[in-house]
Amino acid sequence: MIRTEGLTKIFGEKVAVKNLTMEIPRGTFFCFLGPNGAGKTTTIKMLTGLMRPTKGRAFIGGIDIQENPVEAKKLIGFVPDHPFLYDKLTGREFLKFVAGLYRISEPEYKERMEELIHLFELTQVIDELIEDYSHGMRQKLSFTACFLHKPEVVIVDEPWVGLDPKNIRFVKNYLKEKTRSEELTVFMSTHTLGIAEEIADIIGIIHNGSLCAFGSVEQIKALSDKPGNLEDVFLELTKDTDEVSMRDEK
Amino acid sequence: MSEVLAILYAKKNILKHQILSVKDESKLKISVITISAIAIWLGIFFGLYEGFEWLLKFGSRSGIEVNIGELLMARMFTLLVSAVFLFLIFSNVLVAFFTLYKAEEVQYLLHAPISFDKFFLVRFLECVVFSSWSVAFLGVPLILAYGFSIKAPVIFYITALVFFLPFILIPASIGNLITMFLVLIFPRLKLRTMVIIGIIGVVFLFWYVSSMLRGTRISEDTILPVFVSATSRVQSPLFPPYWFSEGVLNSAKLNLSEVTFWFLVLIANAIFFPYICTVLANYIFYPGFSELQGGGRRRSKFLGKGLLENIDTLLKWLPHPYQPLVVKDIKLFWRDATQWSQFIIFFGIMAIYIANLRNTTKYFEEEMWRSFIACMNIASLSLILATLTSRFIFPLISLEGHRFWIIGLAPITLRQILWQKFWLSVMTSAPFTVGLAVLSGYMLQLAPLYYFLTVFSVILMNFGLSGLAVGLGALYPSFEEDNPARIVSGLGGTLNLLLSIFYIALVVASQTLILQWRVLQHFTSPQIFRWALGGVIVFVSLLTFLAVFVPMTLGYKNLQSVEY
Repeated sequence: MIRTEGLTKIFGEKVAVKNLTMEIPRGTFFCFLGPNGAGKTTTIKMLTGLMRPTKGRAFIGGIDIQENPVEAKKLIGFVPDHPFLYDKLTGREFLKFVAGLYRISEPEYKERMEELIHLFELTQVIDELIEDYSHGMRQKLSFTACFLHKPEVVIVDEPWVGLDPKNIRFVKNYLKEKTRSEELTVFMSTHTLGIAEEIADIIGIIHNGSLCAFGSVEQIKALSDKPGNLEDVFLELTKDTDEVSMRDEK
Repeated sequence: MSEVLAILYAKKNILKHQILSVKDESKLKISVITISAIAIWLGIFFGLYEGFEWLLKFGSRSGIEVNIGELLMARMFTLLVSAVFLFLIFSNVLVAFFTLYKAEEVQYLLHAPISFDKFFLVRFLECVVFSSWSVAFLGVPLILAYGFSIKAPVIFYITALVFFLPFILIPASIGNLITMFLVLIFPRLKLRTMVIIGIIGVVFLFWYVSSMLRGTRISEDTILPVFVSATSRVQSPLFPPYWFSEGVLNSAKLNLSEVTFWFLVLIANAIFFPYICTVLANYIFYPGFSELQGGGRRRSKFLGKGLLENIDTLLKWLPHPYQPLVVKDIKLFWRDATQWSQFIIFFGIMAIYIANLRNTTKYFEEEMWRSFIACMNIASLSLILATLTSRFIFPLISLEGHRFWIIGLAPITLRQILWQKFWLSVMTSAPFTVGLAVLSGYMLQLAPLYYFLTVFSVILMNFGLSGLAVGLGALYPSFEEDNPARIVSGLGGTLNLLLSIFYIALVVASQTLILQWRVLQHFTSPQIFRWALGGVIVFVSLLTFLAVFVPMTLGYKNLQSVEY
């Protein structure tokens, strides 16, 4: 469902993403891990068509995002870490706007919107201005907007910021359930290794712009000399970053 | 609903909620803004009306059958429309950069399945509205004054309105196109190439402006032929302002075939220009946008180089906590190209102003005119200063935005933060404006008394206008907004500008009054004049004191009540 071929992004002399090749099948929950500055956001920007790769290609549902961005974007739902929402719209007006962007017919979006509002427990606030929402409510509205057009691929960038434990569990289970029941493909960038270990079907670890590990949780754990939990393996695979930064500090 | 309609629907609702939220604003603020806006609007109308009337009387006395005043008015009308046209291009270049590339919603919209041409189209429309509303506001008194003075028929006003809408689309398209090309080309250029292009551009601009000024010096005896010849530059039928002027001016003479012709020319171009832009946006918007996404990494190699980048060391002598705050403000300003590029333009305005002062007073032998020119010079200098403080100082508190908690939680008092902004404003704007006051006084060959009043007033107004800008910036912050241009155009920014103009008007009017009375020998003895002058100095000093402390105190109280 998501395929990259030699995806590379170079900024001046800095190689942000180096020859990234991977394939994530339909209905997979994929967790994308990596230290800060490893190239996760750059990869997401290339996958969502916000940035042109220097080399290589990215396909969503078999569609090249650079060659046919509009068709590819119809399949994508995106939830950023800090959701942008129009503060001077009400939640309902915002959802209507999103429905328009994705050309969803009125009866369809109305039915879908009510269902999602109820599901994400936004009924009480949906007719209030977004500027009065808490961060958690904004994040939930962002999820609601993301699922409004029934995306086949959901790209999520660190979604747990601002959510309380109850909502974290809800979102986690909702995404997981969707991958099973509707074959939704989830591409999630996160630093919360515990959650990644718990729900990911496939994990990819990016380090200094290169994909240094790709496989199931068990396969990733097996890469370590002393297999423990995912956190230990992650730190071992990406440890030279810390060494370099410590050397710099000295 | 199509994507374009969906975005327009959202914008319509945002506007609706923004208008509705005005009722939550302070009643005092709304009243002051409304009254001041009406006063300014009426001031422009009557000023222009009187000017046009004077021109008509002047023209009818020239002894020629044709009223020269009418010709001059028509030329001035085209000149004003041309100035508006150039202003709109420039304003669209700046607004388009933010609207197309930097606004927070851009990334959100581009995640959606919307083609680049449709994305461009809706953002372009927003750009048109945002950059042109002030022109519409100030254009109405111009049209009314012109129409009333020539006793134009109703069709004149209808034509002006109908011509205005297609007219603004042309400079908006040119501005948007320039921005898209700049974003496409500039990130790929080396720094040295950018600097060379910039210098060539500035040198060309100054050469062009000074060549225009040479032709239009008002003190020449041959004023009429020179004026007519100089303004013939804007009479080209290939120049869009000419189409607008011809159409509107012909409507006053009920020349309907001419009106129809120019309307068709205008409407054809108003369709052609945005269409070309939208088509080109499909090809040039995305490469530029994508390139801009990684701009931070490319810029990082220039960090730590140059004088301003090492400002920390230069300002080490500043006491705590002012040094880190000042360094931060200067660095943020320097690294925001849209900010300092506008600052450079202000330098340009100052240079043009100085260049235009050459030999002006030697043609005015009468004392009344010399004193009047001295006062007008103070007004011009303080208006330049007010523009600087309104544009660059007022947004400083708002620009702290979501980061306000960083300095808000630091072991610094809010009072110290406010005064740091105040002193930063005074210390950065004073060298330019006081220098300009000294230079302009020299160029105008002012008498010692006028020279003293000029420098004294500018020094004083540096404090007063900085106090107003910082205080009102804290009283009406827009923490949600990241774009300084938008912060300035909000309610608080408008109030600051209006109060600044009001303050300047009081200072300048009190001095003009006293100097004119002296010239007209209304004072029975020099002793009484000296007392009156002393009174004016005390009055403007007190006024400045109020302009600093009232807004600063109110701003401080407001910041204390804000939750971070």
